Amino acid sequence: MNAPERHKAYLLEDDEARVEYAKDQKIPNAGLFTIYKEDHTIGNLVRMQLLRDSDVRFAGYKLPHPLEHRCLVKVQTTGAKPKEVFLRSISDLHSEFDYLDRYFREEVLRFKEAT
Amino acid sequence: MDFFELRETGVHEEFRADEAEEPAGRRSYAEVIAARSRIEVTRSTMEEVEFDLVGVDVSIANALRRIMLAEVPTMAIESVYIEENTGVVQDEVLAHRLGLIPLRVDPNDFEELLDPEDATDVNTIVFGLEVKAPINIVAPNARRRIDDPVEDDEVARRPGGHKHTTVVTTKDLKWLPQGDQETFLPEPARPVHDDILITKLRPGQAIGLEAHGCKGIAKDHAKFSPVATASYRMLPRIDLVKPVEGDRATALKNRCPLDVFDIEDIVSDDGPPASRAVVARPRDCTMCRECIRRIDDVPFGDDMADYVKLKRHADFFLFKVETAGQLAPLRIVHDAIAILKAKCDKWRTELELSGGSLSLD
Repeated sequence: MNAPERHKAYLLEDDEARVEYAKDQKIPNAGLFTIYKEDHTIGNLVRMQLLRDSDVRFAGYKLPHPLEHRCLVKVQTTGAKPKEVFLRSISDLHSEFDYLDRYFREEVLRFKEAT
Repeated sequence: MDFFELRETGVHEEFRADEAEEPAGRRSYAEVIAARSRIEVTRSTMEEVEFDLVGVDVSIANALRRIMLAEVPTMAIESVYIEENTGVVQDEVLAHRLGLIPLRVDPNDFEELLDPEDATDVNTIVFGLEVKAPINIVAPNARRRIDDPVEDDEVARRPGGHKHTTVVTTKDLKWLPQGDQETFLPEPARPVHDDILITKLRPGQAIGLEAHGCKGIAKDHAKFSPVATASYRMLPRIDLVKPVEGDRATALKNRCPLDVFDIEDIVSDDGPPASRAVVARPRDCTMCRECIRRIDDVPFGDDMADYVKLKRHADFFLFKVETAGQLAPLRIVHDAIAILKAKCDKWRTELELSGGSLSLD
């Protein structure tokens, strides 16, 4: 009756952005990113990637509620703009998976030839 | 190059400066991965693949695993339109059982169906199930019960005997091609196995229904999950910090229930021949800790832990992916990597697009 729609767990609403950014009003160089329709898979991935950046002073993520399908990532930098740092991390992640994708394809080809 | 060491007191982290590490300088992690990571398929069958993922962070290995479990799309039966069901299994239970049947259909050939009203041949596959249990004849696919003595066969064949029970399996599901599906699908849609029991019918009972399948991900419903299991473990590493020789070597080899150690003969010109334990099959180790356990009243039982160090590589993952049948196992891994890549790509585009107005923050 009042069950949440099943597709709400993974499909963006019509007017929903994929990522939102809000600057922290109290802490300098800090901001909060909201990634919609994502969970621990992406939260932890993004957090660990941010922490590898030497410009990042703090990075953490949380899922505010199990029925709210969004993931909050809080970032504080040593001076750079959080948004730039975040974008850099995402680009970096993209190239990481690009390499893994390439290595995996090559390996599958090699394996198929070997057997 | 980090390790986790297992001691009596628990798990200890061990950080080791990597000789290959670049001197200080900003090297992005993508470059590190490009230079150091490696994927090696060690075993691949129709149902299962095992591969090594080396040189990446746990967060990446875990994201890959979680994506395979919950976000790789497959096709499954989603809506069931029941015309007739006089069997003992209720409509909703029957529909649920149909939903769980793995289907051999490539999800890439289909689009996502958001609203059942919009069903067309590009987003829906249709199966029909029509079974009528005949009255007073032995059902053609009747099975003998395991606990049934052979001499009771006569009873079973009589009207009312259990051989009159009709078994409804996935073999009875008939694919009903819609629109152009016969031309754009490389092979007919069918269930992965044709012997999955759906329900049983007594003489005179009948089932008539139409099942509509669509594309989905396991985050929505577990029936869409392409894997039976997708898991990883870190490669064990066993260090012999002091040479383990002679009787101690034999004791160590015998102590390991998984036979990780081998005994090597040392031939030297001076002195008697000796033997030494070597770590031969670290992959087999299950970290049972038997080799570092302190056992009293057993030869060498008290100080084996001084010789053997049990560790795990922190960046060497042994993946094992077992498919549920819808997709080939290697395909699942490949799809998962592609999904992660696509996600990053979408956020990047969106952040870059909104960059103009927000860059002041």
